[in-house]
Amino acid sequence: MSTEKIKDARRMVHWPGHMETDYIYTLGIAGEKFFTEMKNSGRIFAAKCKRCGFIYLPPRIYCERCFEKLTEWINVGTKGEVFTYTVAYVDVDSSKLKEPTIYAYIKFDGAHGGLIHKLGEVKHEDVQIGMPVEAVFKPLAERKANINDIKYFKPV
Amino acid sequence: MTDVAIVGVGCTGFKSVSPEVSYKELMFEAATRAYQDAGNINPRKDIDAFISVAEDYWEGFSIFDEFVPDQLGAVLRQLFTVSGDSIIGLGNAHMLIKTGHFDVVAVESHGKPSDILTLYDIVSFAMDPVFNRPLGGHPFYLAGLEMNRFLFETGNTKEDCAMVAVKNRDNALRNPYAAYGARIDLNDVFCSSPHFYPLNKFDISQPADGGIVIVLASDEVASDLNDCPIWIRGVGWASETPSLESRCFGEAVYAQLSAEMAYKEAKITSPSREIDFAEVDDLFSYKELQHMEAMRLCEVGEAGRLIAEGVTGIDGDLPINTSGGNLGMGWALEASGMQRLLEVVIQLRGDAGERQLADVEVGLAQSWRGIPTATGGTAVLSNC
Ligand SMILES: [Zn+2]
Repeated sequence: MSTEKIKDARRMVHWPGHMETDYIYTLGIAGEKFFTEMKNSGRIFAAKCKRCGFIYLPPRIYCERCFEKLTEWINVGTKGEVFTYTVAYVDVDSSKLKEPTIYAYIKFDGAHGGLIHKLGEVKHEDVQIGMPVEAVFKPLAERKANINDIKYFKPV
Repeated sequence: MTDVAIVGVGCTGFKSVSPEVSYKELMFEAATRAYQDAGNINPRKDIDAFISVAEDYWEGFSIFDEFVPDQLGAVLRQLFTVSGDSIIGLGNAHMLIKTGHFDVVAVESHGKPSDILTLYDIVSFAMDPVFNRPLGGHPFYLAGLEMNRFLFETGNTKEDCAMVAVKNRDNALRNPYAAYGARIDLNDVFCSSPHFYPLNKFDISQPADGGIVIVLASDEVASDLNDCPIWIRGVGWASETPSLESRCFGEAVYAQLSAEMAYKEAKITSPSREIDFAEVDDLFSYKELQHMEAMRLCEVGEAGRLIAEGVTGIDGDLPINTSGGNLGMGWALEASGMQRLLEVVIQLRGDAGERQLADVEVGLAQSWRGIPTATGGTAVLSNC
């Protein structure tokens, strides 16, 4: 859309940019509770809405359905079932992964939500929707209060 | 109440790369074409407000909206940026005109993903930094999770999805704007490499560069600017929760809610009968089926049968994505939804050439903001 266009592809130049950003993502009240309990005691906590009864996993301090403040923490155990899963063969740079990664959305018994995580100790052809699984934690000394304190979920 | 029409469209066409132009030149070309199409208006005096649809991280800028006015003819004029999706941009333009304060509004959207060397890392930055991002991996695994649950709940099959991948690339061969037209068969889809089970490579849209600008006008001036104004009968948009862990995965609730909002305004009660054709988001093949069902273009669990029977083909009773969809035209970031809208306008004008549908009066355009969002928009348009 110009009267003069570049006709020699070898002439095209560009400026290579790099956007560097560093953050700390504050966990907040619910995040502190969730990750410190997981790190220190291997327990997984959800938050219950007193008004509608909805149990949020991961926990929050407000209900997205009634906009109520949540104050009740509930230990939901470490077991759930595979609500859906996928097998990733490709990495973020679009290269082929050496070993495919199985990701799953695990719904917890006793909560309305769940966690997105990896599955382990299972062949991907054996994974099924509805399969019961439980969290496998890293050894206490290696935990850092983040989601990877859970190594993966394995079939029960 | 003021009626609003689309009176101008301009498109650069979509390509896998565009190293010969900057993003500003891409936008300038789309705008120039749209203003020409809208009765050759001069944006410096004839357009009352401008809306761009853009997202900082796609562009590699902080505060990208500051870099928008000059290439649209909008310097020293009323302009704002909508982050979300181009049909949400359309909804804002629609509302501006309905206030009575603006007669002519331009909406711009573009994508230049070939400038982004780490495209899928940028997508990853859209995921929750605490609960989701530390798991690593390619963010499109979320589409694999969603597709698996969708097929499980509805009984649609991987084969049905592969048919979408074949149909839309085939339709794109008839669309000169499309980047990825191809004649492939089901076996090609099944044999393309597995990426995120049940998604294969050919089930996934490929990035494309290009821009689209549309010009909207009130009924007061629309007929002066274009002999064939395309009327906006209804617009809707909706977002589900950002928390992946609170979503239902199988259903596209955002599409359902945005469509119902648009249907209400358009006074449509039975969309499958009242809508002649639709352009729906198909960034992943299963999305076309999931969105059709969410918007009541068919019953839940029925979309797969419709494509198998050819109902959604270009010669069927309810053609879907005659443009080629995102699978055929390309994933153009914020312009992906505007591609859908553009095709509805072209079809309703009767300008679609060899892919022109006969006797169409009402068309639907629907968009999704893409992984990992659950946000989308719907517009119902008519030529009478
Ligand atoms: Zn509640």
